[in-house]
Formats: sequence, C-alpha cells, structure tokens
Amino acid sequence: MRLVAFKASVAYLWRHPWQLILALVGIAVGVAVIVAVDLANSSAKKAFLLSMDAVTGDATHQVIGGPQGVPESIYAELRVNHGFDDIAPVVEGRVFLKDASLTLLGIDLFAENEMRDYQFDSFTSEALPDDGNGNAEGLFLDFLIEPGSVAMSADTAAGFGLAVGDVFEVDAGGRKVPARLVATIAGAGDASLEQLVVCDIATAQEWLERSGWLSRIDVKLADAEGQIAAFEAALPDRTRLLRAASRTQATVDMSKAFMTNLTAMSLLALLVGVFLIFNSVNFSVLQRRNLIGVLRAIGLTRKQLVMMLLAEAFLIGLIASVLGLLLGIVLGESLLDLVSRTINDLYFRVTVTQVQVSPFSVVKGLLAGIGAALLAAAIPAWEATSFQPRLALSRSVLEQRVQRSSPLASMAGIALMIVAVMLIQFSGTSLTAGLAAVLLLILGFGLVIPLFVRFATRMMITFAGRLGGVPGRMAIAGISAGLSRTAVAVVALTVAVSATIGVSVMVDSFRGSVNNWLQQTLQAELYAGVQSGSMSSQLVEDVGRLEGVDAVSTSRRIWLEADSGRTQLRVIRMAPGSYAGTEILDADPTQVWPKWETEDVVLVSEPYAFQNQVGRGDLIVLPTDLGSREFLIAATFQSYDVNASAVLMSRQVFSRFFEDEAVDSVGLYLDEDSDAEQVAEAVRGLNASDDESAQALRVISNLNIRELSLKIFDRTFVITDVLYWLALGVAFIGILSAMLALQLERARELATLRALGMTTRQVSGMILTQTGVVGLLSGLAAIPMGIVMAVVLIKVINRRAFGWQIEMSIGPEILGVAIVFAVVAALLAGIYPAYRAGRSQPALAMREE
Amino acid sequence: MERSNFPAIRVSGLFRHYQEGDRQHQVLRGIDLDIQQGETVALRGRSGSGKSTLLNLISGIDAPDDGQVVVAGQDITELSENDRTIFRRSHIGFIYQAFNLIPTLDVSDNLRLVLELNRVSKEETAQRIEQLLGAVGLLERAGSYPDILSGGEQQRVAIARALCHRPKVLIADEPTGNLDDKTAGRVLDLLENLVRENGHTMLVATHSVAVASRCDRIIELHDGKLEEVRKA
Repeated sequence: MRLVAFKASVAYLWRHPWQLILALVGIAVGVAVIVAVDLANSSAKKAFLLSMDAVTGDATHQVIGGPQGVPESIYAELRVNHGFDDIAPVVEGRVFLKDASLTLLGIDLFAENEMRDYQFDSFTSEALPDDGNGNAEGLFLDFLIEPGSVAMSADTAAGFGLAVGDVFEVDAGGRKVPARLVATIAGAGDASLEQLVVCDIATAQEWLERSGWLSRIDVKLADAEGQIAAFEAALPDRTRLLRAASRTQATVDMSKAFMTNLTAMSLLALLVGVFLIFNSVNFSVLQRRNLIGVLRAIGLTRKQLVMMLLAEAFLIGLIASVLGLLLGIVLGESLLDLVSRTINDLYFRVTVTQVQVSPFSVVKGLLAGIGAALLAAAIPAWEATSFQPRLALSRSVLEQRVQRSSPLASMAGIALMIVAVMLIQFSGTSLTAGLAAVLLLILGFGLVIPLFVRFATRMMITFAGRLGGVPGRMAIAGISAGLSRTAVAVVALTVAVSATIGVSVMVDSFRGSVNNWLQQTLQAELYAGVQSGSMSSQLVEDVGRLEGVDAVSTSRRIWLEADSGRTQLRVIRMAPGSYAGTEILDADPTQVWPKWETEDVVLVSEPYAFQNQVGRGDLIVLPTDLGSREFLIAATFQSYDVNASAVLMSRQVFSRFFEDEAVDSVGLYLDEDSDAEQVAEAVRGLNASDDESAQALRVISNLNIRELSLKIFDRTFVITDVLYWLALGVAFIGILSAMLALQLERARELATLRALGMTTRQVSGMILTQTGVVGLLSGLAAIPMGIVMAVVLIKVINRRAFGWQIEMSIGPEILGVAIVFAVVAALLAGIYPAYRAGRSQPALAMREE
Repeated sequence: MERSNFPAIRVSGLFRHYQEGDRQHQVLRGIDLDIQQGETVALRGRSGSGKSTLLNLISGIDAPDDGQVVVAGQDITELSENDRTIFRRSHIGFIYQAFNLIPTLDVSDNLRLVLELNRVSKEETAQRIEQLLGAVGLLERAGSYPDILSGGEQQRVAIARALCHRPKVLIADEPTGNLDDKTAGRVLDLLENLVRENGHTMLVATHSVAVASRCDRIIELHDGKLEEVRKA
C-alpha cells in the first residue's frame, strides 16, 4: 500500500521532469562547489604535507639555530661526545632549474639511518647507463664524493627532460653551478618527491654557500620525556629542539585563514543552493496537495506521508549529491590550480597536480546535499499532511499565510542580525565566529526580504499601471501575489548579488589600500637581489659605490622559530630618506625612529599586533642567538605584505643579537640627476664577469614591483571571482525554477488571459517584466546587504583572518553593475518561462479543475 | 468584412481529431451550424462528446482540421493564431464554469484588463465598469479581490467581464456548474436579461436542463455530429 502511494507520489516528478532536473541541478551545484573547494584545499594541504614528509622523513624533532642555521660542529659534538645516533644533518634551500623553483636537500647518506628511507633505484638497477667508469657502484660513489651529483624522482627528472647521467646547470643563490643526475629516487609510502633535488650535504653547502653550517639536524627521539630532556640538555645555547610536526603545522597554519575564507565562500554557494533546493522541494510537495489529500483520505497516516515525502527528498538529495560529488571533483581540478597558485604566491611552495579525493570530503558533500534536501522538504511535508491539507494548502490560503507571516519573519530577521552584530562584538578575534556572523546576517536579511518585496511592489504598482496598463500592473502584482515563490527567488538572487557587491567592494578597497601602501613603501628607485639566497657583503658594498647611487638600504627577512610558532623578522638598514616608507600608526615617528635604530626596541606590523594581541609599550620575546630576549614594541606600522605579520628590527640592533651579516636585497636611492635605467645596467654589469661563482643580481624598479605585486594580488582573488560566479549560477537556476513553478501554478490564469485576447507576445512580455522586476528588486535589496557584507568582510573577516586594516571605498560603478547584473540574470532566467507562458493553451481555461 | 443578415456564427463541414498515443480520436465529424444574431443556443452532450472542442473552434482558441468557422462575418479559420487572438479579444466574451477571474486583479481591474486590451478610452472604461458592475449588483465590491468573493459573486463578475467590451458573441461553458441551485438561478436570470437587453448572440455548453430551457434553441453533440433537439 505504502509502496503504491510512493509510486503515485514519485510519478508526479516524472511528469514534471524540468522541475526534477532543476532540483537535482540546484543540489548538485551546491554540493559540487563545497566538494571542489574542500578537495582543492585539502589536496593542496596534503600535497604540502607529503612533500614535507619526504623532506622531514621519520624525524620526530629538529634542532634549529639562528638565521644562519646550526654550526656543523654541533652535529659532530652531539654524535661523538653525547653519543646520539639517530640524528642526521640537513642543508636545505632553493635552487632553480630552467626557471622552476626546486627544493634542494643535502643529506649525509651514512648518517641517515633510515631517517628518510629514499630508494635510490638507479644504484641497484642492472639496466643502468654506463657512468663512464663501468658500473652502478660508480654512480653511488659519485653521489658521495663528486661535487654536483644529484638525485631526483623519475617524474621530476622526466619533467625536465633529464635522464640518469645527464649533466645540466642549476641556479643556486644567483650562481650557475654544474650538476649531474646520478640516480632517480622513490620515496617511502605516499611521500611526495616532486620538485625535490637530493644531493650530498657537501654539495648543498657549496651551492648555497653555507660551508660549516647546517639548516638543521633531524632527530629521531622516543616519546619518553627523559630522552627529550637529555637531548635538550646536550644542546648549546644558540640552538633549540623543536617538534618536527609543529614546524610543518606552523607553515600550514599560515594559509589557514585563506583556506577558511575559501570554505566560507563555498558555504555561501551552498546557502544559495539551499534556497533553491527549498524552492524546488517545497514546490514539488505543494503541487501534490490534491494527491496528498486523497492519500490522507484513503487512510495513510500523517507520519506515513511525511516519511514518504522525506524518503523522496532523501532520494533526490542522494542522487543530486552523487552528481554534485562527480562535478565537484572535476571542478576541484580547476580550483586546485587557482588555490595552489595562490598558496605558492603567498605562503609556501607546493606542487600539486592531482585532486586527492578524501572520504571526509565525500561524506561532507553527501551530508550537505542530503541534509539540505531533507531540511527543505521537512516543513512543506509537515504542512501538506496536516489535518485539512486541501484547505491548508490552497494557493490563496498559502499566499495569505506568507503575506501575514512576512512581518513576523522580518522581526525574526532583524533579531538574527542583532545576534550577528553581538557575535561580532563579543567574539574577540575568532574568524569562525566572524564567518558565522556573516551567515547570520545573510539569513536575517533574507527573512526581511518578503516584506520588502511586498512594500516595493505595492509602491511600484501605480507606476507600473501608468506605464504598462493592467498587464503591467498584473506583472507587478503577480510578484507580491506569488510571494511564496518569488520571495525565495529574490532572496537567492539577492544573496548571490550582495556577495558580489561585498566581495567586489572588499577587493576594490583592499587593492586601493595596497596600491597606496606600495606607493609609500617603495621609496627606493631600484631594488636588487639574487633569485634565492642572500647577497655577498662585497656585492652590497659594490652596489653602494656605483655612480649615481646616493644611498642604499638593506633588507633581510628571517623566520624565528619557537615551539609557540614562527615569527617573521625583517631586518632593515634604512637609507637616510627611507623612513617615510614605513607608516607608523600609533606613535610620533620622530621619536620612534631614533630609538628603533639604537635601543632594544622593535616595531610590529599591524597584522602582527592584531594576531598576537600586542601593542605599543608591550614586551615580546624573540629567540636570538644569545637566547630568548625581550624587546619593547615602540610602535605598530602598516603593512600589506604577503606575510604581513612581522617584526621590524634595525640592522644595528639585529647585529647585537644575531650573528648574521647576510642581506637579501638592497634598495637603491639615486642621485637626483642620475638615470635609473643606466644605474640598473651598471648593477647588472657588476657580475657580468666570466667568473662563474659571481652572483647574478636581479634589478627591478619600484614601478615594476608595484605592477608585479598588484598582478599577484589580482591573481589571488581570481578564485573569489570563480566562487561568486558559481553562487550567481545557482541563483540563476533559482529564478528559473521559481518562475517555472509560478507559471505551472498559474497555468489556468495564463490560459484565461490568452482566451481573453492577450497575444503570446503580451503574455511573454508580462512574464519577462515580472522576472525583470524580480531582478531589479534583488539588485536593490542586494545593495544594503552587499555594503553590510563589505563592511563585515573588511572590518571583521579580513581583520581577523589577516590582521589588515583596509580603507573602505565603495565605487558607485560596483553598485550600478550589480543592479544591471541582477536584472540581466533575471531576464535571462525569465526567457524560457516567458516563452512557455506565451504558449499557454487558452483551451486550458475551459477545462474544469 | 461584416455582412448584414449573415448569421452571427456559421460553422460548416467542421472536423477535428486528437491524437491519443497511436490512436486517432475523431471528436468532430463534419459539423454544420448557423446561429443568428441575438439568438441564444444551448449545446448539450455527454462528457467527452466534444462540446469544449466545438466552443474552442468557434472562439478561435483552436483551429480545425477541416471546415470553416465564420463569426461576425469573419472566417476565423483563415486567420493566423495572432490574428485569431486579436479577433477573439474584440468579438467574443467568455464565461467559464470555474469563473477564471484573475486573482491578482481586483474586480474592476478584471473588467479593465479586457477594455484596455480593446483600447477603450479611460473615460469610457470607467463608465462601462460602473454600469456593468451596477448591473450585476457588485458596484460596492469593485475594489475587492476575487478570493474573498462567493462563487455566485465571482460568476457575476465573470459575466460583467464577458460583456464589458460588447462582444458580438458570448461563449459560456457550464456557467452555473459550480453554483448551488439558488445562486445558479439568480445568475441565470441576470445573464439572460443582459444578453437579451443587449442583443448578444450566446452559445452555452451545458448539462443543465434549467440553463438549456432558457435558450432559444437546443443542439446536442452525439458521435461528433450535431442534432437539433426539440424544446419541451
């Protein structure tokens, strides 16, 4: 009996395939966006962790030192004097091969003791190319004793067109050095060896000019506290033992805010999708009110009917979610490109070519799709099966109920918005709470929309009547009369369009602030540095002596690590006129700079101050070569740098606490009458000698840096564009679905209009006017909501995620485009419903209901 | 071109079939019918006999497979769909069993819509609405929406809407089918008076003896053909 009832119920959906398709598409797109973002994020993260696995191996801890690293002697001392066997020295850095950046890992094969467990395939293969000396063992020996011998994964080697035995050139610290591929390697387990070059530690030290220094010492220690304590006791002052996993995590955490924001964007797409799902499922239930009435009359209980409708929603949700998953995996491939590009631009190196489908992402996508479908079906299912379904759900009663409840809904909406504001006020720096507040604001605003639509259409009716006569009035009145359908469509489009406004205003304001900041910060005419690594002190002096150069500023960026996390330290030797490039936010610059140059004080960037909840007058502890030391914060400064959370220290102060004279880049302040291009040429000419060990300097003008920075900035927000286009796509389907639903429900009315003499064009025009007005109302409603979203994104989300203070500026063109956008999207979505409405058969009016 | 002394409706050799899957269902098999101006005719027939099909063909809603339909001197089978629509809007008035008032328009706007479609001037429109709503006794409900009117009231509005543009022909499909006997009687009195007063031609499809008995002539559809029925 119940199966037959279910059959009767489902048969309805088969008879209205477009409705079924739209519901499926709505859920599928929503799920797809969520899954795609999730997969892209987790794949990028997993790829990074796997590559870190490859580099870190089985090390549980790492010994790190100051900016230059760990003196080699400490390794010998630990192994020989203290008897620690499970330790391995590592020199790590970046080299460039054919302009691609690769991680160089210098290891000591004899000390490795299965630390990393690489399989050197070629050493054992019998099918080896002759090394010139006759055998594979020769190659192994080469790796150990021949400088420039390297190994890489077969895939990486193939990517560069290299085979075992090939000799090639790499760029290390701005120098061209010869290398020879002596082996291909494979990692243990899932460890990713992509873009990794392994060599003997001596080669790495030579290439990176780190003779006598190690990047770190990898250590395998058992969990036992005693062992760790014993090891720590053996370490000299300038070194620290850190957990390997927390070092990796600290790097991953840098991109956490970025990934959280992406997830929030994908949730926005699902939220819009939920409106659509609600509309579709609600409509499909309401359309069957007669059938439901009959089934109730012949004895199905309310519970049975509700369960039947929910089972159906579950089925639709399941099918759509599976489709969404497949779509999400495809979409994830494209997003992955964008996500990994941004992570590479902003945070850390990650090479990821493939989406990793994790069961967690799959389950999350399925739950979101099915959950949304069930939620959307629950309310109408409960209503439709009430005691007098036929009466309770007759169109007019339903619409009256929506009309009557709209003030109540508005009050609930306002309450939600108040809760959102309170959440922002009282949630400190929590990003998740900020994002939850955004969702609450959207929901709250959405609840106010039905009332807004009622008032707006009431005001528009007279005007529409004057302009388009009774048909014009009908078009407008129809929106208000079908509020149960149109309001959901308006809400969906409003949310999508307001997201475009909010994000556009945020990006626009952000871009403006960054541009201003770049203009102020880039005080030097030219900047010079090597591609990776640091400049030799001789080179820095040579640059300063060039003709036309008035003054030189130097910059060094290092990461100070402690168990509590990583701190970026920027060490600057200011040129006389370059102080103005750093904007002090909370103190008098004339008092701050002299102190900063000489005393034990630092400046902190605004994001650093926000993220660490510190400010002027506070003390911060930094791990120095002399041990942990306290520094007074003299002021905060503005920074929109990629890794903006930073501490600024003068070179003079730095020299007192760190043994590191390296310079990453220099800023060149030119004489007034000198030509920048000529000086740039002179800088390039400094190492144009035949000496292969000379560092190749790269010179770039401040204008070029600004252009490049803005290019990276724009690239970062491409993914945001993609996501809000998707949200808009979902809203488009929402309008299409709502208009088709309305048209189906008004079939008799449209047929009557045709019978009374309205031509197909008039009826189509009326429907198109209606959708155009739906678009217009959505666009209008989206403006306040979009601005509120922009304020929250700028003042709360960006601040909490990245610590930036952005000057908000609302370009009127953004608002204008948004309205046009909403109207055009609605009109496009209205074309098919209008065409169908125009073709309404007037004969239908004759038939009895 | 309209000709005097020509019947208000002339149907000749009308055929119409519908496709039901692989089967062809012949609904009308060569209908011939003349209805004179000012004449009221009741069309009877069992459910599914083709009454609605015939009404659709006469009003230009549908096109025949074969045959001719001349209404008010115009052969509407020669017209395109668009021209038939424009012809229908000015020459034909409809009254439906389900009333079919436009729910988003109030009573006066339901009438105004038809007058506006026929490009009647604003002053004339206001005059006719007042006159007709007065005639059907609903002047005070001019600003009400259909959903708060009773069935009888809705049908009275439908009658006013059907007559407001002064059509040559009135087509009614079971006009009292959704009303109780008492209300149906009142509505019929009103309809009859207005039709006779204004000299409209009316073709009304009905099962009701009461309705048929008020008409000048009764015809019956049987097996796709028309038969004249003698009034008792």
